[in-house]
Order: sequence, then structure tokens, then C-alpha cells
Amino acid sequence: MSLSLLRKAGSAFFILAVWQVLVQTGNINELFLPAPLSVLNAMWALTVSGTLPWAVLVSLNRLVQGFVYGSLIGVVLGLLAGAIRWVEDVLDPWVAAVYPIPKSALFPLFLLWFGLGDRSKIVTIAVGVLFLVLVNTVTGVKSINPLLVKAAIDLGASRLQVFVKVILPGALPNIFTGLRLGAGMALILVFITEIEATKAGLGFLLWEAFQLLETTKVFAGVVTFGLLGVATTWLLQWLERRACPWAQR
Amino acid sequence: MLLELRALGKTWSIARTGERVVALDAITLDVVAGEFLILLGPSGCGKSTLLQILAGLEAPSTGGIRFPERTGTQKLTSMVFQEYALFPWRTVAENVVFGPEVRGIRRADRDATAQRLIDLVKLRGFETRYPHELSGGMRQRVALARALANDPAVLLFDEPLAALDAQTRRVLQDELARIWAETGKTFIYVTHSLEEAVLLGSRIVLMTARPGRIKEVIDVSLPRPRRLTRPEEAALLERLDGLLRDEVKQAMEAEA
Repeated sequence: MSLSLLRKAGSAFFILAVWQVLVQTGNINELFLPAPLSVLNAMWALTVSGTLPWAVLVSLNRLVQGFVYGSLIGVVLGLLAGAIRWVEDVLDPWVAAVYPIPKSALFPLFLLWFGLGDRSKIVTIAVGVLFLVLVNTVTGVKSINPLLVKAAIDLGASRLQVFVKVILPGALPNIFTGLRLGAGMALILVFITEIEATKAGLGFLLWEAFQLLETTKVFAGVVTFGLLGVATTWLLQWLERRACPWAQR
Repeated sequence: MLLELRALGKTWSIARTGERVVALDAITLDVVAGEFLILLGPSGCGKSTLLQILAGLEAPSTGGIRFPERTGTQKLTSMVFQEYALFPWRTVAENVVFGPEVRGIRRADRDATAQRLIDLVKLRGFETRYPHELSGGMRQRVALARALANDPAVLLFDEPLAALDAQTRRVLQDELARIWAETGKTFIYVTHSLEEAVLLGSRIVLMTARPGRIKEVIDVSLPRPRRLTRPEEAALLERLDGLLRDEVKQAMEAEA
């Protein structure tokens, strides 16, 4: 266990150290690959100047709103579609049609419909999250042992109680799979929707730095995106442990 | 008389072939309060279907059931399934209170009921375990406590011990006999195990296969606890074996 940890830390440290040395000895041009310490410096400077925190806040606002709306709609529609046949039939052609479309391809349309502000970005993210959560929720509902529904009815549960006390908890592990995939999708989409037609956000910061060939700043943006990804993964894992303590392996 | 079954029939139609299968035919039977009624028969005799009808989970095609001395709308049966059917996201205690919970019983009352039943099935100390943390035998104890929590007049068992290993099955057979005696409930118990019928039943209803009909009803007044090694039990086992063997043979000939 601790040996494995040591190897992981060693690997990370070794590569970063070699990288740093190669840049410092002039073997690598910092325009293409800035040294780790330069990136760290840039991040620090961007943080104290308030640029990076503001960019993160702007992006987080879009990310969280899009994610929450998308997941809520996805879970509700998924539960209904999984449990009620006619809802599934009504939704099916739309899911089949929209699911395979890269949601970034819808962004121009949403820009047209919802304008240059936050809303077009939030909608794009929400749609991207919605379909992943929806599809996984339906899978979750369908994976519930029908015997459990029978047992609940036998014990006196109403249709609504079956829904709330059997279908929902039964689908929860799959819902979390959808949420995890949705969070990844949301991060991708927040970047893509911020490289055009906006003047704020982490994606904008990164893209603008690229256009000015400020590679160090680009790296700072990339690392921050990575940290955001790690943070959302941790948050979702923590939520899942709280929500599905029975599903721990 | 607790429960009357009158000319009960169930016919399935197989969608693919359009063929009609008579699962149950003209089942007429009176269930006496407090008895341990065994429904014994070869597989495919419709005994599980009969149980589903008694539970209200399936509608009969013909005939019907009624509780002549009971009025009101409260459900009078609870089912114990072969595969336990416990809610994996609920702990032992949470599984047991499911019935009272959905029927809107006050929390304090239902928790008291749960604790009493958990004691009855000897699971004290396991209240906060999840089903996957329990052995098969313990899971079936939870399912039994959960079924009892609604205080039903009749408990319906659908081959509850069939998924267990032989040792656990022996222990739980004794436990079922004890709990039946302690609670005074009416048990209707589907099995294809002759041993179980002899060990547990106060009355054994032997069923035929395809269509499922009642072939014979045997009263069993042997003292408890029963042991298969005693001559009386052995004789009954022999007799059931002969009757069932005929039935299986006929069913196989009918199919050939």
C-alpha cells in the first residue's frame, strides 16, 4: 500500500524534475513547454491579482447551474421513462435523435436562441448532462429486480410509494454513474462554450492566453481545469458514499 | 373459516404461439385459521400462481377468494419470497418496518414492532446490517419479520427455503415451526419438498400438474417437533412420495 504510494509520488516527482531541468538547461523552449515552476509562479500571480479566482467563479457558475438543471431534468425524466411505458415511448425518438449529436455542435444554435450571455452556455452544459443522466437513470430503473416492486406492493405500498421508496433508491447507483459522466461532459462543454463569444471564464482565460502565445498562462488554465475535475470527482464520490452506503464494495 | 377459495382457475395465453395454458383449474379449498397449510406439487403445477392470486398480485381467470369473517379493506396476506426480495438499500430494521411505514403507522409504534419481530426471528444485533452483509438464512429471517410486521392474517410462503443449503434449511424449518406456533398465524406454504411438507404441515394439499388441480388433501396430526427418522413421519413421506411420483410420471407422459 505505502510502497505503491511511494512509487506514484516518485513517478510524479521524477517526471516534473526532469521536465524542470530540461527547460532550465535550455533543451526545451518555454514557448512550447514552460517549466513546472514557471506554471506555478504564473498561477500564483494570477491568483493574487484576482484574475484566476474570478475566471473560476464565472466558469463554476455556468458549470454548476448547467449541471444541476441538466441532472434534475435527466433524473426525473429517466425515472418516469424507466417506470412508465408511454413516457418512454414519447421520449425515445428524441433521445435517439439528440443523444448521438456532440452537444458542442448545438452551441451555435443556443447562442442564436439564448444570446451571448451565460444562458446559452448553461443550456449547452445542461443538455449535455441531461442526456447522460437520463440514459443511465433509465438503465438503473430497468435493472431493478421486479420482485422488489412486487414485494413493496405486497406490503401495501401505493404507486407513488413504489416510485419513491423502490424505483428511486434502486436506480441511485446508476444515477450516480450518469452524474459522474455528466460532470466530465460539463467540464468539456464549459471550456468549449467559453472560447468564443465571451469575455470571462476559465476557458476564455486559457484561449486568450493561447492567442497571445502566453503558454505559461495556458498551462495555468489547463492545471486549473484539472483541479476542477478532481474536485468534482471527489465531491460526487463523497455524495455517492452518503447516498448509497449499501452499494460500497 | 378464515379463507375460502371457490372454483379458482387461471389460464395463461402464450403470446408467441397463441396457445392457452390452464395453470389452475377448479381449485376449491377452505383454509382454517391457524393452520400450517402446505401446497405440495411438481414444478409447473401452478402452486406459485395460486399463491400470487391469494396475495392479490395476480387476478384469477375464474372463481375467487374471500375472507368470510373479515370486513374492511386492510390487506390480509403477506408474502415471503424464495429469493428474499429484501430492499438492498435498507438495513435489516428498515426492511422490517417497510410495511408499517407505507401504511402510515407512527414511527415509535413501527419501531417497537420491528424490534419485537427482530427478536422473534433472532436477529438482535444485526439491525443496522445491509442484506448483502447477511447469509441467505439470515436474509430469509429478515423477510419473515418484514412479512409479519403488517400483522397479516395469513402468511404466504413461496418455496422460502429452496435457495438455502441443506444445513441452514434444517435450522430454518425448525424456526418456521416455532414461529408459526408462537404467532398463531395461518401459514400457506408452497414447496416441492416432501420432507418440508412432512416436517411442517398441519394439512398437506397435493396438487396435480397441468392443469393444476387438487389431487388429495391430507391432514397431519403428528406431534411436533417432527423427525423424519420416526416411523410415522417416514410412512407419511413414503405415501406422499408415491402419490407425487405418479403425478410426475403422468405429467411427463402427457408432455411426450
